[in-house]
Amino acid sequence: MQFLIILTISLTGERLFAYNHFMVNIANNKKIQVRVKLISDFYRKSGRMPSFSEIGQLFRLKSKNSVFKIVNKLEKTGLLKRDHKGRLIPLSMKQHTKVLGTIEAGFPSPAEEELIDTISLDDLLIQNKDATFLLKVTGDSLKDAGILPGDMVIVDKSLNPVNGDIVIAQVDGEWTMKIFKKRGNSIILMPANPKYKPIQPKNELKVAGVVASVIRKYK
Amino acid sequence: MPYPPPLTIDQWPRAIMHVDADAFFTSCEQAIHPELKGKPVIAGKERGIVAAASYEAKKRGIERGMRLSEVKKLCPDAILLPSDYETYSIFSVRMFDIMRRFSPQVEEYSIDEAFIDITGMRRYFHSSYGEIAGRIQKTIEKELDITVSVGVSLSKVLSKIASKYKKPNGLTIIAGREIHTYLSELPVEKVWGIGANTSAFLKKFGIHTALEFTHKDEGFIKRYLSKPYLEIWHELNGRSVYPVITEPKDDYKSISKTKTFTPPSSDEGFIFAQLSKNLENACIKARRYNLCANKVIIFLRTQEYKDTGIEIRLNRPTAYPLELFDLLRDGFKKVYNSRALYRATGIVLSGLKPNDNIQYSLFDDTVKIVKMNRIYSVIDELSDRFGKHTIHHASSLPVKIQAQHEGERGDTPYRKNSLFKGENKRQRIHMPVLNIKV
Repeated sequence: MQFLIILTISLTGERLFAYNHFMVNIANNKKIQVRVKLISDFYRKSGRMPSFSEIGQLFRLKSKNSVFKIVNKLEKTGLLKRDHKGRLIPLSMKQHTKVLGTIEAGFPSPAEEELIDTISLDDLLIQNKDATFLLKVTGDSLKDAGILPGDMVIVDKSLNPVNGDIVIAQVDGEWTMKIFKKRGNSIILMPANPKYKPIQPKNELKVAGVVASVIRKYK
Repeated sequence: MPYPPPLTIDQWPRAIMHVDADAFFTSCEQAIHPELKGKPVIAGKERGIVAAASYEAKKRGIERGMRLSEVKKLCPDAILLPSDYETYSIFSVRMFDIMRRFSPQVEEYSIDEAFIDITGMRRYFHSSYGEIAGRIQKTIEKELDITVSVGVSLSKVLSKIASKYKKPNGLTIIAGREIHTYLSELPVEKVWGIGANTSAFLKKFGIHTALEFTHKDEGFIKRYLSKPYLEIWHELNGRSVYPVITEPKDDYKSISKTKTFTPPSSDEGFIFAQLSKNLENACIKARRYNLCANKVIIFLRTQEYKDTGIEIRLNRPTAYPLELFDLLRDGFKKVYNSRALYRATGIVLSGLKPNDNIQYSLFDDTVKIVKMNRIYSVIDELSDRFGKHTIHHASSLPVKIQAQHEGERGDTPYRKNSLFKGENKRQRIHMPVLNIKV
């Protein structure tokens, strides 16, 4: 169970970073690669992490101290950690297997655990389902920001705009989609097309929603 | 007459919230067409009558059910829109979802009304019941851009009085110690569940206001009224009797499908086709909830809003139109009058039973029933994949050929005409579309 939880956490940027960092480290060290694969194979076969003496057997090392040193190294890379009794807990072991698998042993069969940390396009594009609306773009004022007439824009009404967001707003009675810029205390709505001028609200600015994503379907 | 004593309860043994969306259909329209805000908007164009009117339109004297010709006289600048039930349903689902963020105990009372039991949530949100209610109201307004009126009190009946007290966008809290102040002004027939007949009866005993009713002793209520009124009496006294029912509705007592068409018609084939489609639709819904009906009611509505109908009892419950067509035709012939002009047809399925414990009789052709079962499970699967009525009965065909509504009224909602690439007339993305030109 714990393993599954860790996998889902691994979606956050922080963990992803650790994972990439580790890849650089490990990829250059063939010896460690082989050893990690031995451990993860053990893990896959038995469903648990090996003990220190079992690691000794796997690595053909007689000295527990050298096992200890290797485990320390792996712990630093964020691959695994130890609980209070010193037993091993896998962290990004599973992803690691997958990466090594593509290089060395062919692609492993898609086990159920592998598919847990995937998200659907819906989840990727929609943060707050209840507050999300669609909008068809008609103008070209955000052409250079990559939003073209006919595009489908996903608008989130629950978000408060921050500097640089693309917003749908009502300015002095007129509706527009522009880039929200804060300059000190004033707000400017910037186009992304030299044909249009920036808008500075005179009386009223009402932000109806923040653009979360843009979809363009070709076929 | 002596003024009745106050009614006070110091605590919140139960905190029930009632949420009632303000002019729901037209509010949804104003949310997706923001340029219509502050204008008199009317939904129901395709039916020729007012299905819903915005507050701006209500102020001009427009009421539900009014004919559009009257509307044009009263309020020539009214904006008439075809009803877009798809969008309204999405808003409704979202409104309930937002409420569930605050309490899991939400009762979806109707498309635009809900009860929420927020008892015990004060500590969790570090706020009073009134503040929690205010937050729910504000979240709905921010995320959906519609306003709701909210009432909080000790029971469902009282919370409903509270939400009605101030509309639109009202927030009324009737605490236990001020129940009497709200009830003393309220005519007894305005209480949820007390109708015109009961209130006329109560007036014989000098009961005119809700407070006078509430102050009667239990013996009086038990002697002269039935159990539902005893329950209302308890609820008015701040003792919650009606629970907030969380389960979505899945045990229907009856299923009805009605459809209006314009202009009115006297064409026998067309009217029967309408009825046949009503039957198919009702059966689809029954099958979705795994139900079978043993009674079918057919009715036809004339131009003058006169209904004629007939009830058909079945010897075995079913949800397969194929088994019902002969009966439908017989029944139709009995009620149809070739000289009348009809504007609507309807089907009611009642006497519903779960599909899995039907007792077949010795004379039933079970082989045929099993076959029917297979045919309809395939039809339902096809409908799931390709949209409703992918396969339908030939008798419903005239409905498809002849438009439901003709002329100016025959508008379809904007959403069905402005499709994104990949959408089609039957299936669209499950999300409301903002109609803003940017």
